Amino acid sequence: MVMMEFKSRKGSLAILLLPFLLSLFSPLGSGYVEPFPLEDDNEPEDIWSYDYRNHVFPWGGDANMQFQEYHSYETMKSRMMRVAADNPNIMEFHEGLNGGTNARGQETSIDQYEGWFYGYASPWLKITGNVQGGTYNEFVGDNGNYQNKPDVMIVGNHHAREWMSYETPLLVMETIAWYYGKGPTDNDGDGLIDEDPWGDADGDGQVDDDGDCLSLNESLRDSNGDGKDCNPGDLGVDEDFSEVELTNLINSREIYLIPMLNVDGNIYDREVFCPAPAWETCPSGGWRKNLRDNTFTGSTPFPDLGEEVDEDCDGVDLNRNYQFEWGAPLGATGPLIPGTCSPSEGELDGTNNDVYNGPVDDTDNDGDFQINEDHVDGKDDDADGLVDEDWWGGNSEPETKFIQDLTEMNDDDGDGASDFKATLTYHSYSELVLYPWGHCNNCQSPDHDQLVYHGDQMAEMTDYTNMQSSDLYPTSGDFCDWHYGVHGSYCYTMEIGTAFHQHEDDVAHIAVRNLGVAFYMAEISDNPRERADLEMTNVVKDQVLQTPDEVSIPPLGSIPIEMCLDHAFSIDYRPHRSHVMYRMVKPLRTQSDYGPAEWYSEPWEHVGFELVEGQSCDLLNGTGLGYTVVANVPIGDTENGKLHYKSMISTLGGTQKIEYPPNSQYYELEIDYRAPYGTLFGSMMLFLLVATFVWGGLGVCLRLMMTDQENLSELAATSEVLDAMIEEDSD
Amino acid sequence: MSDQFSGRMGLIFAAIGAAIGTGNIWRFPRMVGANEGGTFLIPWLFFLFAWSIPLVIAEFALGKRSRTGTIGTFRIFAGKRFAWMGLWTAWISTAIGFYYAVVSGWCLKYFQLGFSNGLVGESVDTQLVWNEFLKSPGTVIFFQFLVVAITLLAIWKGAKAIEKVNVILMISLFALLFMSLGLSLWMDMSDGRLDGFLFMFTVEWSSLSEPSIWINGLSQSAWSCSAGMGMAITYAVYMRKDEDTTLNAFTMGLANNSISIIAGLTVLSAIFAVSSDPLETVTGGSSAITFLALPEVFAQAPGGAVGAWVMMTGFFLALSFAALTSMISTVELCVRNFVDHGFEREKSVLFTSISIFIFGLPSAFLWISIAPDGTAFPQFLEVQDHIWGYGLMFSGLFIAYTIWMYGFKKWRSEVEAGTAPGGFSGYLGVGVSAFRDDFINTGDNDIWIGRWWDILMYAAFPVLFSVLIISYFGDMIANTPNVWDPGNPHGITIILLFWGVVAGGFIALNKKLIQRPLYRNIPEGADADISMLPGGSDDLVSDTNEKLLVAIIED
Repeated sequence: MVMMEFKSRKGSLAILLLPFLLSLFSPLGSGYVEPFPLEDDNEPEDIWSYDYRNHVFPWGGDANMQFQEYHSYETMKSRMMRVAADNPNIMEFHEGLNGGTNARGQETSIDQYEGWFYGYASPWLKITGNVQGGTYNEFVGDNGNYQNKPDVMIVGNHHAREWMSYETPLLVMETIAWYYGKGPTDNDGDGLIDEDPWGDADGDGQVDDDGDCLSLNESLRDSNGDGKDCNPGDLGVDEDFSEVELTNLINSREIYLIPMLNVDGNIYDREVFCPAPAWETCPSGGWRKNLRDNTFTGSTPFPDLGEEVDEDCDGVDLNRNYQFEWGAPLGATGPLIPGTCSPSEGELDGTNNDVYNGPVDDTDNDGDFQINEDHVDGKDDDADGLVDEDWWGGNSEPETKFIQDLTEMNDDDGDGASDFKATLTYHSYSELVLYPWGHCNNCQSPDHDQLVYHGDQMAEMTDYTNMQSSDLYPTSGDFCDWHYGVHGSYCYTMEIGTAFHQHEDDVAHIAVRNLGVAFYMAEISDNPRERADLEMTNVVKDQVLQTPDEVSIPPLGSIPIEMCLDHAFSIDYRPHRSHVMYRMVKPLRTQSDYGPAEWYSEPWEHVGFELVEGQSCDLLNGTGLGYTVVANVPIGDTENGKLHYKSMISTLGGTQKIEYPPNSQYYELEIDYRAPYGTLFGSMMLFLLVATFVWGGLGVCLRLMMTDQENLSELAATSEVLDAMIEEDSD
Repeated sequence: MSDQFSGRMGLIFAAIGAAIGTGNIWRFPRMVGANEGGTFLIPWLFFLFAWSIPLVIAEFALGKRSRTGTIGTFRIFAGKRFAWMGLWTAWISTAIGFYYAVVSGWCLKYFQLGFSNGLVGESVDTQLVWNEFLKSPGTVIFFQFLVVAITLLAIWKGAKAIEKVNVILMISLFALLFMSLGLSLWMDMSDGRLDGFLFMFTVEWSSLSEPSIWINGLSQSAWSCSAGMGMAITYAVYMRKDEDTTLNAFTMGLANNSISIIAGLTVLSAIFAVSSDPLETVTGGSSAITFLALPEVFAQAPGGAVGAWVMMTGFFLALSFAALTSMISTVELCVRNFVDHGFEREKSVLFTSISIFIFGLPSAFLWISIAPDGTAFPQFLEVQDHIWGYGLMFSGLFIAYTIWMYGFKKWRSEVEAGTAPGGFSGYLGVGVSAFRDDFINTGDNDIWIGRWWDILMYAAFPVLFSVLIISYFGDMIANTPNVWDPGNPHGITIILLFWGVVAGGFIALNKKLIQRPLYRNIPEGADADISMLPGGSDDLVSDTNEKLLVAIIED
């Protein structure tokens, strides 16, 4: 009995103490991560999360989704469909185009965009904020077309064997799907948020903006083994971009992401031409072209009875098939007799040529009973007042037709011009950034300087070499010449990686290295020319938004925040284009007691700018005088807290929302309570009211206690209360 | 020999002492600042009458009849199966006491610093003083020990001693506060504008529709009056039979609010007189601001070094007194429960005090971190506060539940006896008002409690509780990063886990608990027959006087 009593009490004590013991351990499991130590000789595990340092992407999934092995056409397509289904607000899955009457007046249909041999159209994604909204494009078949959203086209895998060129766009897709709409996130687990965006964000000449890679032990700084320490693609370089900025970008742009243009060729390369593992069977070769059946449609003497792919003869190089300067006889890459297929062996003649540019088009495209009289080169070759109206050939393939019609039928604003002001195509390999022209030697395009500028930016992001396409080797009829030459689109060819069939261990880091380029192109797609101009002349850098120290807070009313702008910058005053974004925040108890919290979920409000007449101001870096614009932020004098603000300014030329300060940062201005605290009369009234209730009530109670030592009747008590109250009042 | 307060004033002083704590002196001014000044006074005053006082009335009535601490009260009134609710209530108060002793130690230390002029002068950086203090575990523990020792001495002998100590402490507190108030009003007035006064008594009518102001008003009122904490139950144990519980409740609540107004006006006037951005000082800072901002304010008191010394010493002494009286009631609440279950008072006091000291140690020195603004803060202590502070909400609900249970049982038994009508209307007529009829309006009360009290207990209470808890969690989910991460000490998962484990453990313990005999503390002349109470069928419940007999049988 006594023993049992003892035991049970012990048990009771244990239960009583359990909660306390539990609470002892609670902060041990805290999610708080100390920022990495800023000293040399770190090991990766000193800095980053397990996932990040092991190249585990946060969306999980199998080796395929983790970019540890290549996607096939099937796994790529099903993944694209899955991602689109999971993110219906920003992504829409498509294959080819619906067709209809295209911009050239031709009737087309879905099947004309399907590969010759396997019969698949290129799968692609339309990506933009609220992709189900906007207008529907009947020809293309996509929703989410907005007049005010710039469009960008990103195309991979023109050439079947260049496998990294479709893996990289797939990483772009996964990145958008995972990070869109997320608040500021610690992508690498180092305890910092958005500390290392793509490129050299802080302008110190070092792409590793937060210096985490550089803090590693010297032997560990080249994680991708390319021989260069802490360059793009290494762990810790450009690893933590701003999710808010990415989200804003997706919301304000229409992205047409076509990871695998050449589905026919890719399947053939993977399944027939280069048996797995391709990096061993085809270390420096592979299938390049599409699968046009040249022996059937071409000019060989023998009909292709078995409908098998004829390795010696079939296929067209899609990146030589575009119409601009198509087949221009540069000698180096063009076939001797365009559009012919001769069975004889040899690198340069006939369709066995890996760069065969497709058949000659001998139709009379303009119905003037002449053929090929006005080649597509931007000039009126036959001086009939029409430009490029009867082409020699090109855009003959389902894949290039698809690009042609998607480009020419995407005209949301109905101005007759294609909406794609920026276009990007991934190729491999050579670690280059290429800009037009490709078709001419020793020539420069009218936008040469601007194209070089953006190319340099992307070369910095990737540590690749920026050069004019023709300086590598002249090409005719490539994607970028056509986009730039015919549609004025700033077009770049990224030659990524170091092999056609890169070893699968290298997929992830090469894709990561080239990820930022896609977002850069999306960003400049509003007006790449003007952006380059403004940045090349340092206009963007020298303009300035008032910092919190400079803002003068008036004693009453809204708070003016000024910007000093360069006269070369013609600001678009419409409030939805140029504005100060602001929000007032107040730390709550939990936030003030438990440290700072991110405010990203607090919505921003906008207020437009107006010109301050006759007031000039100093631009930065001693670059002279600019003009002043001001936004009056409507913060009342009774409000206090912290005012977050930043500006977004656009030009009349269409460049949208250059942000000050850059990289999704904002300024924080302390706002004190400025109004009078109240009136003496009003406060006296409330004071009297409270005093009557509280002190008067207390007086009544105390009085009751003093006088009432005996039981009193209810009535007597009431009269006591009344008496007391009367006395209180008379006091 | 049983404990009893000698007079009404003794009890009142003790209860006021329990209710007045650092909550009135620091928390209230901060809440006024964070909730639009005078606007806050309206919900705060409203909930004094709609929440705190009715709840304290209920607690007093419960304790006065059960004549036991929280565990016994729930065992007797809610039924055997619900004794764990009393254990929960007691645990929450005691767990808060673990770290409250540390905080009280800070107050004492600052009194000592003020007394020895350690907070005044050109060279004094209040942040540095605070950080150095917090980071020297020896000093923190010494003052924590001092608090526990003083509490132990005060409480050793029971109600009579508590009474004497409290009267001295409370009167000193009032005097010190009034002195501080005079000084700060004078300081505020020196620039010709009573900014602090204007701020504290100006209503921003448009803000009155903001729910957060009402929620904060409710929580401030309840916490500063100790409504729902079981304090009033404990103190009612020492009441005479004919004690007027309702008048006591009103007095206690109104006295508490009176002190809040004085303290609020003192602190706000001082800050508005001195700070360049008073609103930011009042609203933006963390709880450490008492020890950072106020010394700076007091250092600028008129009269030079003497004025500063008087202000500093007076204020922190008052704060220490307020903290000590609350500490006393915390220990007493725990001790009462031990005594109820047959333990000797002296041993219980010793055990409780030592436990509070030992379990408070981690809060004193574990995980002292530095906030981004450079201020040191005790993270472990704040985690404790986070987890147990909000557990109080349930204690209040349990008390209301007890009253519902009593009403329901009473009505059922009367229906069976044929003296009450069945059906819902019968329940409304007899059951709902049963507790009020039987235990509140006993005839000893000067203030007759009407039907409004039933409405508050049965309708308003659950609604307000739901609003409170939903807004609390909603706020938490909206404002805490990684709120569902169980490793996040400020997240939801951890708080639910702790509550769950504690409640689960206590429910499991319930069986053992009700097998123990329970001794009721019935002072002479206060015969409260157990047969009148719902727990009357419990053979193990007996009066203190019968203790000897039972003990013999047990052996």
